[in-house]
Amino acid sequence: MKVTRTARIATATLLVAGLTSAALTGCSGATPGTTGSSTLTLWTDALRAPALKSVSAQFKKDTGVTIKLVIKDFATVDKDFISQVPTGKGPDIIVSPHDKLGAYVQNGVVAPIQLGDSASKYAKVAIQAVTYNGNVYGLPYSIENIAMVRNTALAPTAAKTFDDVIASGKAAVASGTAKYPFLLGLDPKQGDPYHLYPLQTSFGSSVFAQKSDGSYDGSKLTLGDPAGVKFATALKTWGAEGILNPNITADIAATSFAKGESPYFISGPWNIGAIKKAGVKYAIDPLPTAGPDAAKPFLGVNAFFLSAKSKNKVAATKFLVNYLGTDAVQEKLYEVGDRAPALTSAFNTIAATNSDVQAFGKVGLNGVPMPSIPQMASVWADWGSAELALIKGEGDPATVWNAAVVNVQAKIKG
Amino acid sequence: MTTHTEIPIVPIVPDADRPRHYAKRPFRLSRWVRDAGWRHLIAIIAVIFAVFPLLYVVSASLNPAGSLVGSNQLFATINFANYFALFTNPEQPYALWFVNSLVISLITSLATVFLGAMAAYAFSRMRFLGRRIGLLALILIQMFPQFLAVVALFLLLSAIGEVVPALGLGTQLGLIFVYLGGALGVNTYLMYGFFSTVPISIDEAAKIDGASHAQIFFGIILRLVAPILAVVGLLSFIATTGEYVLASIMLTDPTRQTLAVGLYSFVSQAFSNNWSIFAAGAVLAAIPVMIVFLLLQKYIVGGLTAGSVK
Amino acid sequence: MATSASPQKSPVDRELAGRSVMTTDPHQLRAAAGFRRSGLVAVISKILLLGLFDAFSLSLIFAMAGLHLWVPLIATIVITLLINWIYLGKSKRLPGKYLTPGVVFLLVFQIFVVFFSGYIAFTNYGDGHNSTKADAIGAITVAAQKRVPDSPTYAVAILQKDGKFFFLVTDPAGKVSVGSSTDPLTAASNPQRDGTGQANGLAGYDTLTLDQVLAAQEAITAIAVPLTANPADGTLRTDDASSAYLYTSDLSYDRRADTFTNGSGVVYRDDGKGEFATADGTKKLSPGWKIDVGFENFAKAFTNPQLSGPLLRVAIWTFVFALASVALTFALGLFLALVLNHPTLRGKKIYRVLVVLPYAFPVYLSGLVWAGLLNPQFGFVNQVLFGGAQIPWLTAPLLAQFSVILVNVWLGYPYMFLVCTGALQSLPEELNEAARVDGASPWRALRSIKLPLLLVSIAPLLIASFAFNFNNFNVIYMLTRGWPRFSDTTFDIGSTDLLITMVYKVAFGSGGARDYGLASALSIVIFLLIATISVIAFRRTKALEDIN
Repeated sequence: MKVTRTARIATATLLVAGLTSAALTGCSGATPGTTGSSTLTLWTDALRAPALKSVSAQFKKDTGVTIKLVIKDFATVDKDFISQVPTGKGPDIIVSPHDKLGAYVQNGVVAPIQLGDSASKYAKVAIQAVTYNGNVYGLPYSIENIAMVRNTALAPTAAKTFDDVIASGKAAVASGTAKYPFLLGLDPKQGDPYHLYPLQTSFGSSVFAQKSDGSYDGSKLTLGDPAGVKFATALKTWGAEGILNPNITADIAATSFAKGESPYFISGPWNIGAIKKAGVKYAIDPLPTAGPDAAKPFLGVNAFFLSAKSKNKVAATKFLVNYLGTDAVQEKLYEVGDRAPALTSAFNTIAATNSDVQAFGKVGLNGVPMPSIPQMASVWADWGSAELALIKGEGDPATVWNAAVVNVQAKIKG
Repeated sequence: MTTHTEIPIVPIVPDADRPRHYAKRPFRLSRWVRDAGWRHLIAIIAVIFAVFPLLYVVSASLNPAGSLVGSNQLFATINFANYFALFTNPEQPYALWFVNSLVISLITSLATVFLGAMAAYAFSRMRFLGRRIGLLALILIQMFPQFLAVVALFLLLSAIGEVVPALGLGTQLGLIFVYLGGALGVNTYLMYGFFSTVPISIDEAAKIDGASHAQIFFGIILRLVAPILAVVGLLSFIATTGEYVLASIMLTDPTRQTLAVGLYSFVSQAFSNNWSIFAAGAVLAAIPVMIVFLLLQKYIVGGLTAGSVK
Repeated sequence: MATSASPQKSPVDRELAGRSVMTTDPHQLRAAAGFRRSGLVAVISKILLLGLFDAFSLSLIFAMAGLHLWVPLIATIVITLLINWIYLGKSKRLPGKYLTPGVVFLLVFQIFVVFFSGYIAFTNYGDGHNSTKADAIGAITVAAQKRVPDSPTYAVAILQKDGKFFFLVTDPAGKVSVGSSTDPLTAASNPQRDGTGQANGLAGYDTLTLDQVLAAQEAITAIAVPLTANPADGTLRTDDASSAYLYTSDLSYDRRADTFTNGSGVVYRDDGKGEFATADGTKKLSPGWKIDVGFENFAKAFTNPQLSGPLLRVAIWTFVFALASVALTFALGLFLALVLNHPTLRGKKIYRVLVVLPYAFPVYLSGLVWAGLLNPQFGFVNQVLFGGAQIPWLTAPLLAQFSVILVNVWLGYPYMFLVCTGALQSLPEELNEAARVDGASPWRALRSIKLPLLLVSIAPLLIASFAFNFNNFNVIYMLTRGWPRFSDTTFDIGSTDLLITMVYKVAFGSGGARDYGLASALSIVIFLLIATISVIAFRRTKALEDIN
């Protein structure tokens, strides 16, 4: 009895299985094969995607190649790119800041592109930033850097040196018009080497030595030179005077400046919108110097990179060089991201009508590209925590600074 | 043959009936304080502790120019622009994400409850080789560090996608399947503990009445353990709604993404983080969780009491 | 077998009836009839589901065969047969019927991760060793191609003859030549030109249209046309099939010897560590590739001074953190569950929802808010609750540990609250009544009657929660990054670092170069530790003992 029942159920099951799979095969047979039609996958962030819509449509019209815009999380996109490209499932093109380039090259996930004569149409520093070991890897589209934002109501004239900033800021606080002499976003748990770098470079200190072609030499860490220690000493003084305050986070700094609580704020174009909205009258000045040298901010260059495993290299290169490297696209990317275009002609068009872009651009002329060498990853944590310790008044500047340098060197060695 | 005459299929005394019995007594302040008053006090303190940090989120969501924690002046401006902005940008289709999240979370939590309950039933009612080891293994596997889960699952899903495109990368069904990989685990334990409090005599009685194991499970046991099913369903719903890492790897097409993934696209820019919109999105995203909890509460407490089963 | 069913009845009915016992109680008969009806539905749905599953497996098997995936194919066949065997079988296989669905998902999506991590622990997978050797050779070769400085841009059209691709090259002076990977450039006679003077066709060759170019783009970008018969003069390549540039390479790969040689004769060999290096090991080519390294990562894990130095302190804090988190979240969750579990309490529904709210918001957002609340100078806690005191909540070692636990309790108690609220329902109401009749205080009743019963079902969750908090990476990273740093070691490790965040810092170089092999080996070591503790805890709590 039992056996028969089991057998019957089994037969019924097989019947259902057979019928369904027949149906399934029928369906899959009916769908036409989609191989052959080429599609370029482009990883971008949510902010930039809209600016790429119309150029993608144009490209499709001209070449028949579809551009698939995939929105990825900006914070992890580089790691996903590195782990997915080798599987052959990665994108053809990725939008990324240039300082990840070293890691991309180290992992063999990006391919060089040849800009040919059009390379000269971009800001020199932008090309420099996307160049690694002599090869150009990216098509740059924007440059960003910080500058000194000044509340013109509280400080009518630009300050040249950081001492002037401190003096004028303190005067504003003393007169009761301001709450803080100067603002710079820090963090109670980590310093901010990026925002402090102009002050550091004005002492003649830098992270890595630069070669003659402007690229960084990962074997020459210059952080610990005497100029670096001078900067460290200054940090401690500023911390003690309350000029730098680790409790003022980027959030608090931006909010306070927008409320008119301080005459000076070292920040980037990303905060200008809120300042404008708040109705604060501001000017964008060159970065003040604290030492004998020029104050050089880090430049961040955003670029499109080509995957080493792209199966659509011809289409991707065409799209990069001939479609993304145009005034229209670069201006559109400016509109959504507020970062100055890397294409010189587009920059000029925008700068002609937008004094903020012009001012930031001018400050950027002094800047140096953020190092993209893989060794840089070993630097940030110790660099930042040494800065924080000094601002908080902990330890002797030379000792703290040199300890951090020793750590970094050990990490670079691996 | 035992002499079971009572079939305990629906022996339910709704808890809702109980309050009447108390309410008939005349009101007296001292008793109220002793009975309920202190409870209100504690509840209010707990609510303040729970909700206060979230007020910052709500406040930020109502201030289009605001930062998240830049100021202690809560609700200085009240403006719903952020909420409108959520629904007006076609590149970041919040409404669609909302629906996606609801669908994915509902399916995942229902399936998790179902799979987990079946396993818990087996562990609680049946004796078989490897039962204890199996129970232990379930919980130990969950402790395995997930450092490489993302890389591993990416490879797995891209391989699956080659064979069955409907389950590959970028598909919501694939993501649900990945979530169901964790259906057995801590939840199974929770249910296992609860199942074991249901007297086995109930099963036996039903068996005598000719019920198959499936009928006992679906018809009797599942109804008796409704509170824990609701709890597990809710836990799974919340976990799935908030899950970010896997969803962000699996779903890259904006129209298919979930709330958790979509929301991060507002704040994952370098420097220019759009906190106020993110906050608005997070506030709205908490609403389904609250609704689901409100709906399930009557099952979690009060719908059935195990005591009345006896 | 006692049966009341007649032989004409369907096998399903007979089967069900066969299980039934003879009874004359009408009530029971009614119930049995109900069971019989739903039994038919059960059998039909079983047939349908199993049939669908088999069909799905069958289509999988065909697809896999098409893709030559033999190992997964065999696994699929085995699993499919096993599942059929389980569901078509007798009651001995009953546990399988209930366990299989969940276990299949578990096997595919979780066990795979475990094995993958285990495998990676024995490789050098990580930054710089990211892919296969072939990929590495390809990347090195491509990166070694340098454009000859000041060389012109050549306009190019792609031609085809006898299935072979040719470049039709127009140099800036208007001179036209043709060549392929094997044939160096030679002058082309009488090419067709477009309006700008660029050659776009040649007799005897077909010019590729854009569509054809796109269809063959991999082949076209691989073409390197020698400029002259002398290889040192370089090759022309194109990326976009419209302009070509002259490249020379400063490295050449010898396939037979498996070596790279650069222009000045330096030879790079496969050094067995997944990279090409010079004989003295001083110079290496990047990228390398993934190889198996045996137990090297585990050896590194135990000899790494970054780990062994502060290990004990970090381990102790990890235990303190995990234990305190579990104890406090459970205590608070249970307490609130008991307080709100009162029949006449008005508004308890609303209270309950509000109390679980922390659970409904993204952890990331909550973490940022808490960091802001605890800001020493501007945070709400210091400004409002402590009247402007500058208490360094997150930056003084002990306070930071306290704050991290506080925030973790805030994040975690709603879970315990929900679980306890649910579990309380399994306690018979009579217990309360009995206790009240016996004159036991509510506290006494709770401690000696309810709690022990509750713990039976909750103990495993507490152990799981302990394990979760043991590895609670997010809370630490959001609030403190493990800092404040220890002042007596030079490493980037601090007083709120857990073992897992320490592993992260060591293996991923504080946000930089990622060594997955090492990370994986370290996390396996931690897993073994926590698994051992858990097993012991399970033994001790007798959580696996049968309750009935």
